[in-house]
Amino acid sequence: MPIDRLTRAGLAPPDRPFALYAKSGASFVLTAVDRRAAHAGLSPGRALADARAIRPDIVAAEADPEADAALLDRIGAYCERFTPTIVLDPPDGLFLEVAGCAHLFDGEAAMAQTARATLKAQGFSAVNVAIADTPGAAWAFSRYAPTSSPDGDLLTLLSPLPVAALRLDAGADALLDRFGLRTIGQILHAPRAPFTARAGQNAMRRLDQALGRVGEALIPRRPPPPLFAMRRLMEPVLTLDGVLQVVEDLCADLADKLEGRGYGVRRLGLLLFGVDGKTRSVRLGISRLETVGSAMMRLLKERLSAQAETFEAEFGFEAARLEALELAPLAPHAVDLDAAPDARDIQAEARLVDALAARLGQERVSRLEVRAVHAPERASGLARFGPIGPAPSAPPTDGIPRRPLTLLPSPEPIEALATVPDGPPLRFRWRRVQRNVARAEGPERIAPNWLAASDSKTRDYYRIEDEAGRRYWLYREGFYDAPDPPRWYMHGVFG
Amino acid sequence: MIDDRAALPPGLVRASALTPGARYDGGYAAAEAATWAAPLLEIKPETSADSAAALAFALGCAAASTRGLLIVTGPDHVFQEHGALYAEGLAHFGLDLDRLVLVRTRTQDDALWAAEQALSAPMAHAVCLVPPSRKPLTLLATRRMLLAAERRGARCTLLRLDGGGASAAWMRWTIAAAPSVGSKREVGSPVFSARLERYRFGPAGLAWMLHWNVHERRFVSDRIALDGRLAPGFAHRSPDARRSRAA
Repeated sequence: MPIDRLTRAGLAPPDRPFALYAKSGASFVLTAVDRRAAHAGLSPGRALADARAIRPDIVAAEADPEADAALLDRIGAYCERFTPTIVLDPPDGLFLEVAGCAHLFDGEAAMAQTARATLKAQGFSAVNVAIADTPGAAWAFSRYAPTSSPDGDLLTLLSPLPVAALRLDAGADALLDRFGLRTIGQILHAPRAPFTARAGQNAMRRLDQALGRVGEALIPRRPPPPLFAMRRLMEPVLTLDGVLQVVEDLCADLADKLEGRGYGVRRLGLLLFGVDGKTRSVRLGISRLETVGSAMMRLLKERLSAQAETFEAEFGFEAARLEALELAPLAPHAVDLDAAPDARDIQAEARLVDALAARLGQERVSRLEVRAVHAPERASGLARFGPIGPAPSAPPTDGIPRRPLTLLPSPEPIEALATVPDGPPLRFRWRRVQRNVARAEGPERIAPNWLAASDSKTRDYYRIEDEAGRRYWLYREGFYDAPDPPRWYMHGVFG
Repeated sequence: MIDDRAALPPGLVRASALTPGARYDGGYAAAEAATWAAPLLEIKPETSADSAAALAFALGCAAASTRGLLIVTGPDHVFQEHGALYAEGLAHFGLDLDRLVLVRTRTQDDALWAAEQALSAPMAHAVCLVPPSRKPLTLLATRRMLLAAERRGARCTLLRLDGGGASAAWMRWTIAAAPSVGSKREVGSPVFSARLERYRFGPAGLAWMLHWNVHERRFVSDRIALDGRLAPGFAHRSPDARRSRAA
């Protein structure tokens, strides 16, 4: 695989043997060789100096395990078109949980063939695919019996394979070889306790795992969705209309699967698998739990239409999957037949907010909330639309707002002239306009949060009205008796 | 029902109150009813310095006229220039944060689109901020908005920070900030000088001094001047006399 990575990038020499090396102790050791080098008798583990002696024309490059891991992850992403549950098995393996997916690809054998062919077509020279009942057995078959089609009893199929097929620890392999135990069949009936004492804790467990006697916990590349609907397309879909048609089918499928479960979708993910090997994904949050296919379709259509140009389906899509990323139980709610005509329709409001968020993006549609913080900049926040508690901040009883309607993104310095120290300004200049102060109230002192920002200063806020009646919220930072003179800032505007 | 007056047909308003030279004291009630009934409303600041007052007036009108969602839409740069809506300040102004949805968009077109979509929610009132732009709002765009609002029985306010142009709106208010009344040095409750610049079903040019009552969420008219200026002697009257008059 590391060789393939460089070959696909066009970095491998076309007509000379090629190998990768890494520093091991005091010398450089080969880690991967290509076909020509292997033909010359080179193999991973040989010293680079030896290789140079055997084939003086060899081209060697330093191995890059991180790039290899990234490539494996990308292959994993590509393989999502077969199943949502993918487990990375570094350095060069992938487990695909295909239970319940194979019928989409006309059976297991055809699925394995498709996987092999598509990966080969992408420039991976040695692709070995095997489908088996346990991860351990699949690992063994793919590496040690790639051509056989594993059908039948696992015990009989595994018996002739070498013990190395059991994913043993590095030393255990050689040890068993010294005992003359070469195939799995030979150790099947070995006495467990003495065997474990010699070959290590893992040997017997790996055997049990391969045979399915004990379970094996694998950590998938990303958590599989609780529910999904998938379509593989006979012909690549090229147009937006075509994609929308497929998405509509998927929405109907997902709604069918949801039906009767008592759950609704809170987050949706749509994956479009391109023929070019790239996967486009769309994620959508929904404010209220959705169970209806047509409503999901409407949101997805909105998003896809808005982003149509970013998808660039140059060669079309060959498969699509709609995932319910987050489910939540539906709370049955009673319909109020006697509702007042002006009662709010929360459902309709949530539908509107979802439609806006689907097109514009979740972060652009928000409600405002008051936070219990003294610093004015952080006292107002944006939150996702949803029910909020009782009004946290009621208007003052005298009907005079103490806080501005709008707050400037950052306080703007102003030139202010105050008559007395620690008093409100007499006049000030903001955005190049001179304004005379007619009325002023304050100061309201707001001290900084000394934990979060120890260098910021105390602010004295004033509510100011100019001669025309316009009202401003400005503040003085610092004190007159401090070494630095105080400075004035405009922070907000009242209505 | 929101208010009985909201159901007043525009023709009736024209016939009764909004006639120049008529008794002015009843005048604002009729104008208010017409404002609440208008599917598309335009509000513009007298000068650019009055933008905040115009925004406050627009939010006040919207909050007063509906019990549904209040959706404020505008392109990002408006909120950059004039400041972001401030939650605590909105609450102090008497707005119900639970009903407010803020939509910040990349472009003006998106803001208009969002406002138009917003009209689909029951009893929604969309307030769309329209800043000055090289591509001004066309008559066609306002007409489209009007039809959308009429069809769905919702209301839309365009805050014309661009000064406004040809428009299909039923009414256009021009708003300026007005000095507080009351004690000489204290900043009082919000006051607006509001002029009905354009009215599709009746005479325009009338002006009122409007006080925003944060608890009742409505504007209370004080004293009218025909040319939009403050009536002389207005500021010198005692607050008590003013209050009894407003009540």
